[in-house]
Amino acid sequence: MTRFRACVAFSVFLLIAAVPLITTPAGAQQTDHAKQLGGKLICGVGTTICSCKQILTQCNHVGCMNSGMMLKTLDAKVANGDPDESILQGFVLEFGTAVLAEPPKTGFSLLAWWLPSIYLVLGTVLVIFVISRWRKRPGPQAATAGRGPAISAELLERARAQASRETQD
Amino acid sequence: MDIFGSFALALAFVCAVYAFGGGIAAIFTRHPLLIKSTRQAGMATCALIFLATFSLEYLFFSDNFANAYVVAHSNRDLSTFYKVAALWSGQEGSLLFWSFLLAVYVLSVLITYRNKNGELMPYVGVVMAGVQIFFLTLNNFVASPFKALASPGADGVLNYVARADGSGLNPLLQYPEMVIHPPNLYSGYTGFTIPFAFALGALLARYPGEKWIHLTRKWTMIAWMFQSMGILLGAHWAYAVLGWGGYWGWDPVENASFLPWLTGTAFLHSVMMQEKRGMMKVWNVWLVFCTFLLCILGTFLTRSGIVSSVHAFAQSSIGSWFVGFLVVIISVCLGAYLKNRDYLKSENQLDSIVSRESSFLFNNLILLVSCVAILSGTLFPVFSEWITGNRISVGAPFFNKVNIPIGLLLLFLTGVGPLLAWRKTSTESMKRNFGWPLGIGLIAGVIALVFGFREIYSWVCLILCVFVASTVGLEFYRGAKVIRARSGATYLASAVDLTMRNTRRYGGYIVHMGMVFVFIGLSGAAFNRDLQKDMQVGQTMQIGPYSLLLQGFDSRPEKNYTAQRMLVEVLRDKKPIMMLYPEKRHFSTNEQNGTMVAIYSTLKQDLYVVYAGDSPDTQLPVLHAYLNPLVKWIWLGGAVVVLGTLVAMLPNRRAVLVLAGAPQPAAQPLTHGLTPSATLRDGHD
Repeated sequence: MTRFRACVAFSVFLLIAAVPLITTPAGAQQTDHAKQLGGKLICGVGTTICSCKQILTQCNHVGCMNSGMMLKTLDAKVANGDPDESILQGFVLEFGTAVLAEPPKTGFSLLAWWLPSIYLVLGTVLVIFVISRWRKRPGPQAATAGRGPAISAELLERARAQASRETQD
Repeated sequence: MDIFGSFALALAFVCAVYAFGGGIAAIFTRHPLLIKSTRQAGMATCALIFLATFSLEYLFFSDNFANAYVVAHSNRDLSTFYKVAALWSGQEGSLLFWSFLLAVYVLSVLITYRNKNGELMPYVGVVMAGVQIFFLTLNNFVASPFKALASPGADGVLNYVARADGSGLNPLLQYPEMVIHPPNLYSGYTGFTIPFAFALGALLARYPGEKWIHLTRKWTMIAWMFQSMGILLGAHWAYAVLGWGGYWGWDPVENASFLPWLTGTAFLHSVMMQEKRGMMKVWNVWLVFCTFLLCILGTFLTRSGIVSSVHAFAQSSIGSWFVGFLVVIISVCLGAYLKNRDYLKSENQLDSIVSRESSFLFNNLILLVSCVAILSGTLFPVFSEWITGNRISVGAPFFNKVNIPIGLLLLFLTGVGPLLAWRKTSTESMKRNFGWPLGIGLIAGVIALVFGFREIYSWVCLILCVFVASTVGLEFYRGAKVIRARSGATYLASAVDLTMRNTRRYGGYIVHMGMVFVFIGLSGAAFNRDLQKDMQVGQTMQIGPYSLLLQGFDSRPEKNYTAQRMLVEVLRDKKPIMMLYPEKRHFSTNEQNGTMVAIYSTLKQDLYVVYAGDSPDTQLPVLHAYLNPLVKWIWLGGAVVVLGTLVAMLPNRRAVLVLAGAPQPAAQPLTHGLTPSATLRDGHD
């Protein structure tokens, strides 16, 4: 008991002590910045040039004719010091909203971001509801009372075991 | 041979219709001859589908370029290996291949249970025949692979023609894994038909107890194992062929394969609730229904062209057939459920929230949330265009943001769930089971931070991986210790003995360990690096600890393509390690290009080198190198998952010995004398 507490306390202490380490910002380079922005774009959407619909920085496989041009434009804009938002908007003007790799967090597209959270909340509510119903439910023997001859737990278990044995293949 | 194939398919359709219609009649009349004849019609359907499939393969092997499908997907120089794979490389052939695999499953079921479960099997047979009818309709009337080439003559009459050679197979498919990946994935998709048929059959027949669950467990595991292998092999193919340095791009087709895997995984967990406690009956039936529906939905997405994907088949009108089939399945499932839902009432109550039952509920919740989130994300561009007229993209960044936290939560439950007891877990038990794993996980997290881990998700993932691995390891250790004390065997032998005594439980743990490996591999993606450089011979580029020296080029003419190779020497600390040969391939038959990535793979990291074409500015060849940490763990994890699934399908050693040594009379089952709670408290499975 005491050993367990000591173990948990020591672990928690180590974890708290380590928190500042995780917040240390990693150094970013110009090329990384371009790669990061390229990761927010899809290659050649809105044109018929590249049908791969891959992330721009990942769409460098042989045969893709569009990514090279887009990457060049991106690199030039990043080197020029253009703000990120302006760079992305430039591509949106050229190719349409679909050039963005993730839905914009405005208008109808916002729903795409909300849906997973809604599913989680609804699912959790459902699970809580199911658990509360199960907890309120009377035990198997009480449940069968008053509905004719009850099946004993032993008989039920025997039947299950028999079914299991018979169907084991 | 194409006429033979067409005839076999037409006859298979007729037999399937008889198996379906006769099966329904047999259910009502219970006439033994009718039951027998419908079963035999089901078997004949399968045999005829086999014949049709072999006919098409024969057309490929005999270079029959009078057949339109063979012309479109093969050529004379295509190797024998890929002529096998050409069968499923197009819409028509892959649908026939689907029917073929389904026939393998259906025939196996019909043979396995030919003299068993007489009450249930006619229902199962009807459902299976119904599914076969749908695919045979497509094979016969919508997308027949046996169409002959014809051109209109001067008199306007169509004349049969034959080409001298075919157009060849898509270069992206000319890779060994494309011979393995689709059969695995399709085996997963088609395999889920069997649990679906049993679930729907049992519901329609109001089949008593959990027997249908016992009957379908192995079939579900087989389908799940194939689906897992198919997904991982597909990921490996994308990694090794597409040349973008990644293995999973959240492409709609990839997502489509992942959805039934998620619900199938949920079912494999929640099914234990029904077996052990007689709970979650409605849930299980609907999970099986949904898994099958998602298999069909995935096929619809891949083949209808409704979502754009690099993997999708050509856009066609076949989608409406799948929509119709989906509507029929949903109607039948809903009708059967509404009619017989009182048969699915739970037998037991929940004793405590801190129990195995709760963990299964939450595990199912997380899996289902992930499934629905991926499905809605995949379809969102379509809905957005319908509603707002504006097409948007929902790509990898979205899916990563949504699914990484969900995946981590699932990983946490993977560690927690198996250690909770059925009914109720005491505080003492929790301390005993979780104390050490939790401590070890947190210490690992601190060590990782000290060694430079700065990416939050990867860090949490690592802690959870160590936590889950510790819980699994401790379970094996404790069990093996007890056996070792009795038998005096080594720990390893004791662990093997332990596993064989309860294959399902310990096989499950092995699967969990495999998933830990997969998560370790996935966590490495946060630290990927890449570098691209125009290279001259003799020049080097540095990436991580490796120096890549371009030694030269060569051109290698092969039978079906010409390969241009870079000869790259890999050096570490100025010492040569190995040669890599990234290739660019040109397929003259269809004037297409392909890549062949060269990978130096270790458990720590992959050095992944791509010949990315020639630079338009300098005309020099471009070498694109990636350093991808921990990727090998994903493939290793996949192998462990398969191993664990196979172990879980084996019969328990002890049960076999007892039955062989001293047969138990029917009135005295093995559990005689034990109360239900005593058997449950053992915590098996």
